Amino acid sequence: MFRHNTLRYAVLVLLASAALFQAFTAEYFGLEILTEILILAMLVLALDIVAGFGGMVSLCHGALMGVGAYAYALLSTTAGIAPPVAMVGAVALTGAIAWAIGAICSRSHGIYFIMATLAFGQMAYSYVFEAPIFGGDDGLGGIARLDLSFVGIDLNDSRSFALFCLVVLGAIYGVSVLILRSGLGRSLTGVMHNEQRMRALGLTVWRVKADVFGLSGMIAGLAGVLAAQHIMYISPGLLSWTVSGEALVVVILGGLGTLVGPLVGAAAFVVLKHELSAVTTYWHLVVGVILIAVVMSRANGIFGWIEARWGDRIERRLSDTTRKPEAKEVLGDA
Amino acid sequence: MAHDLGFWTLQALNALQLSMLLFLLSIGLTVIFGLMHFVNLAHGSLYALGAYFAASLTAVGGYWMGFFLAPVVVAGIGILLYSGLIKRMRKSGPMAQVLVTFGLIFAMLDLTRIFWGDLALAIEVPALLDGRLAFLGVEYPTYRLFIIVMGLAIFGALAFVLGRTQIGAMIRAGVDNDAMAACLGINVERLFFMVFCFGCALAGLAGAVAAPLLSVTPDMGLQILIPTLIVIVIGGLGSLKGAVAGSLIYGFVQTFGAVLAPQLASVLIYALLAAVLVIKPVGLFPAKG
Repeated sequence: MFRHNTLRYAVLVLLASAALFQAFTAEYFGLEILTEILILAMLVLALDIVAGFGGMVSLCHGALMGVGAYAYALLSTTAGIAPPVAMVGAVALTGAIAWAIGAICSRSHGIYFIMATLAFGQMAYSYVFEAPIFGGDDGLGGIARLDLSFVGIDLNDSRSFALFCLVVLGAIYGVSVLILRSGLGRSLTGVMHNEQRMRALGLTVWRVKADVFGLSGMIAGLAGVLAAQHIMYISPGLLSWTVSGEALVVVILGGLGTLVGPLVGAAAFVVLKHELSAVTTYWHLVVGVILIAVVMSRANGIFGWIEARWGDRIERRLSDTTRKPEAKEVLGDA
Repeated sequence: MAHDLGFWTLQALNALQLSMLLFLLSIGLTVIFGLMHFVNLAHGSLYALGAYFAASLTAVGGYWMGFFLAPVVVAGIGILLYSGLIKRMRKSGPMAQVLVTFGLIFAMLDLTRIFWGDLALAIEVPALLDGRLAFLGVEYPTYRLFIIVMGLAIFGALAFVLGRTQIGAMIRAGVDNDAMAACLGINVERLFFMVFCFGCALAGLAGAVAAPLLSVTPDMGLQILIPTLIVIVIGGLGSLKGAVAGSLIYGFVQTFGAVLAPQLASVLIYALLAAVLVIKPVGLFPAKG
């Protein structure tokens, strides 16, 4: 089950304050990068739930995000539905599609699961690319942001939009923790560790996998909706498998199955990408080499490495100072 | 559109030619996976490297020099990859392997851009294979016929080596149960190494052969990767039969899909893959049960 320790709390506080600082001090370009990080963070949280806690390494989360973006764009522009309703509709639709994919793929494991999800992701990509209603290669434009003027917030301002995304990300993080701590999340971790045993205990394994995949898909869909609102334009490239691959890279660079790590990874990845592409056009090479080095080092990403090195020590030191009296009592009894 | 017999023959030949190209790529990938349980996503990048080396060598010494030397050079790169990365990743899970080779894709993509630039390169078809041949009542480009014949010849050779020779028996034993094969005195590590190099050479050959048909671009490895993966997952990992069946299914579904149902063509093959995975989660002809 997912637990917070002192280090995780500390990193969360650090990340949140860095984001707030950036949101209130940065200029337009800095705010755009912040929003990009926040949206990527939502996607990788969704991916970490299924991959890190359920062993379902999905290569279709980029496509799910794209489905959310396209669903919102079509509902709010072509169908003319009000943005809040369109958002709910897009998230629900993405969740339903993800649930179906999860149900179909629940029998596959390991590399077959990766390939099956890849196939569904590519299917969505080709369909969006070919079908005229999605605008094909040209994509769709003129997507409106959510209207929060009744509470006095103008989301067309990039500072407000960045803060809005930060709030949404905070909510998603909270919901993710709740999901992982619920009976469903515990069953999922059980299935990851020993599927046969969970089945023998009377669990309907495919339902657990499909349910979590659906919930994760809803988060990915929400990330897609916000991405569409952020750029106000979408193209089929959003659904390409390389987006899913990059999301997986971010999860791994940050630390699989730690929930906090992927957030660190998202920030590191976007900042690295922008810093490197300012210096060289070959930033893929650097990212590739870093990725190989991280995986070869057998550490669980940046955050996993820090946690393995210092996490226990911090816990011990804290418990040493707080629990000293108890230790004396035990000694006294002896 | 006149759908006469000649038209269908032409489409069948096109499908066969695509299948053979995919077969060259997928057989290496599938046997590497079956034998070593190693997921090499960078196989497509080796194919792209094959095409680039062929283009450069053709500029130096003509088409046939590229055709024969590109696979050797790519096999050399395969040796480097094997001793540097893959040997150490052998015991890791599929997840780590997917990621390391994904990193390799990134790195090799940019390395080809650094060495050869962003512009597409083109190779001329050699004079011997230029032009068209009358075949089964249709005129068909000789070079494409050459690809079909070469693919079939390589399939025949591989079927013979895997099915009838001692080294083939050793490889099959290794795929079936590598620990037991090692107990029986087979040097499984060396076998792995040889198969890996040979798979890389075949990927390089596929690149060299495809170069005159398609233009040589940095992302050609990424583009071919997904079809290759579909082929080996439909066919079942690790078997020659699976690679052939998967290649033919992909080639024919893709080609005839584009003719008969253009709107659905691109979705069709993915739907087929999903259907195969639902009905037979390990593919049609897996190497082991």
